[in-house]
Amino acid sequence: MAMLEMRDVEVSFSGFRAIAGLNLSVNQGELRCLVGPNGAGKTTALDVICGKTRLARGHVRYRDREIGNSEEFRIARLGVGRKFQVPSVFKELTVRENLRVGLCKPHGVFSNLVGRKSGESAERLEALACLVGLADELDHPASWLSHGQTQWLEIALLLAQNADLILMDEPTAGMTGAETHKTAELFNQLKGKHTLMVVEHDMGFVREIGDVISVMHQGRMLAEGAISEIERNPEVKRAYLGSGRISDA
Amino acid sequence: MTDTNSMRWRLTGYVLFCVIILVFPYILNNDYLLNKYARYLIFGVLSAALSFSWGYTGILNLGQAVSFGLGSYAMAMALKLRTIPIQTGAGGLPDFMVWNNVKALPWFWEPFHSYTFAVFAGLGIPMLLAFVLGWFMFRGRITGVFVAIITLAMLVVINLVIVDQQKYTGGFNGITDLSTFKAFGVGFDAYSLSTYYLVAGTLCVVLLGGLAITRTKLGLILQAIRDDENRVRYFGYDVASYQNFAFTLSAGVAGFAGMLYTLVMEFASPTFLSVQLSLSIVIWCAVGGRGSLLGAALGAILVTGVQGNLSESPTFLDTWMLIMGAIFIIVVLFLPNGLISLAEKGVRLLKHKSARETATHPVAGAAIATFDSKRVRES
Ligand SMILES: Nc1ncnc2c1ncn2[C@@H]1O[C@H](COP(=O)(O)OP(=O)(O)OP(=O)(O)O)[C@@H](O)[C@H]1O
Ligand SMILES: [Mg+2]
Repeated sequence: MAMLEMRDVEVSFSGFRAIAGLNLSVNQGELRCLVGPNGAGKTTALDVICGKTRLARGHVRYRDREIGNSEEFRIARLGVGRKFQVPSVFKELTVRENLRVGLCKPHGVFSNLVGRKSGESAERLEALACLVGLADELDHPASWLSHGQTQWLEIALLLAQNADLILMDEPTAGMTGAETHKTAELFNQLKGKHTLMVVEHDMGFVREIGDVISVMHQGRMLAEGAISEIERNPEVKRAYLGSGRISDA
Repeated sequence: MTDTNSMRWRLTGYVLFCVIILVFPYILNNDYLLNKYARYLIFGVLSAALSFSWGYTGILNLGQAVSFGLGSYAMAMALKLRTIPIQTGAGGLPDFMVWNNVKALPWFWEPFHSYTFAVFAGLGIPMLLAFVLGWFMFRGRITGVFVAIITLAMLVVINLVIVDQQKYTGGFNGITDLSTFKAFGVGFDAYSLSTYYLVAGTLCVVLLGGLAITRTKLGLILQAIRDDENRVRYFGYDVASYQNFAFTLSAGVAGFAGMLYTLVMEFASPTFLSVQLSLSIVIWCAVGGRGSLLGAALGAILVTGVQGNLSESPTFLDTWMLIMGAIFIIVVLFLPNGLISLAEKGVRLLKHKSARETATHPVAGAAIATFDSKRVRES
């Protein structure tokens, strides 16, 4: 049984159908890459899963539970984490404080009022900062970080959150080649334990991490399969025509 | 600068301030002035409460005076029922009701025969009101300027109702000629030391308790909400509950301040829940530094203190409002984080200096210097 299942999902923005009958299913422990030309609806698809955008029609099932149009925090509590295309961290808080927000259990108001800081979470926090190379920045405000570092911080926030299903929207945008490679290694470690859905334009990166690739076009699923099949697929080639070839998109 | 380090400085500042206001009566033994300073300290409580919802959580509540006024009326109602003689007619009626031809004490006045009830009402009614309003606003994802407009509208409505219902509320005149509050065998006369200490003690508890809350995980999440409330939701936090917690707690503190204000002023008046007062609280907070409870409290004390002295001095009789306005504009333009940011800068400079003295290696010294200038630029 699939961990995540989208059936005939439709999203429209004042009449414009950004997603028009999308079907997608992702298995537990899988790392699924979602690609497609600009405006294909990739971000919107992730938005629907995490509750940011309402769906007009269709179903989104997560672990056999309907989550379409649920509130964001309820979906997050079920174990869905999200990284945004424009990296979103808490700019006024320090890196350490950001990570503390990310270590989100418990979620309730009163348990967070009376709860004590545990030494265990402090250790985890520093380990996470080391993992993403931000150990020296722990006490700096997040607004000091470079674009690449901000991306890393948001990835670390998702690791802190320890979500079962992690939705990543263009995680390597603005990263150097070496950083991108490091991200690929990290994702390869994560798959299995976590289920990942990664939206990416960088095909080199996709090649490093992807098992199965889903290609979206004009709000629908165009093709699905291993990267070599996808690259040979004539429909995919046609979809990418206006925006360059898929191999260098 | 590590987190715990800056916390030590902050705590020192808070404790120092508390000690000063607690020993103050020993320096200044003057009943009239004590009463005046007690008033300023109450404004400090009110301003700190706003800093908690506005500065920490990003909820600009322009109806803060509603909580303050309701607290004040709750206390005044209880004290009115204790005045001897409370009535000019039969049946134990407050004088203004007799003048308005009210025949019997209204049902909602009855429970105010009990001090305990009055104190709970002074806290509970503002909190309940805030909670219900907050529930609708925050569940409905209303933010920013719309929260300000809604809270302001509520203030205007409640103010109108109180002025309009003269029979039950004393209308424009408010509730006057009150008896003295007594609890645990202590009388709280407006000009007494006990009242001053009640007020100063409250401010200490609010500041230190508030600081403790901002240090919890909850306090951190409130600040994260201020920063980017939508991002917080995707970690599974129910943002509306957190916002409502801050909003309601702040209302409770303001309600308590209102009760104290009745003790100090010896009356309750619709001006206590006026638009003017509500906007003044915002100004105090902004001048002192809304991001700091102590800063906000100091801002209130400073602004109302200067205002009181200027308006009483014959030289500034015509110009004091102008001067206050100018001070406000200058501070907001040049110190967006309020006057408290000056103190923070001072602490940083001090540390910079000591860091330079300890730095033996020139490169290390330079590194610290650039680090510090980065920080100064940041704030
Ligand atoms: N809030 C919105 N209101 C109106 N239209 C929107 C909104 N969000 C997205 N769209 C439109 O929906 C379509 C899909 O957008 P989406 O952001 O999902 O594309 P994408 O595949 O993520 O593209 P990119 O690769 O550029 O990030 C686009 O045509 C976009 O203009
Ligand atoms: Mg996108």
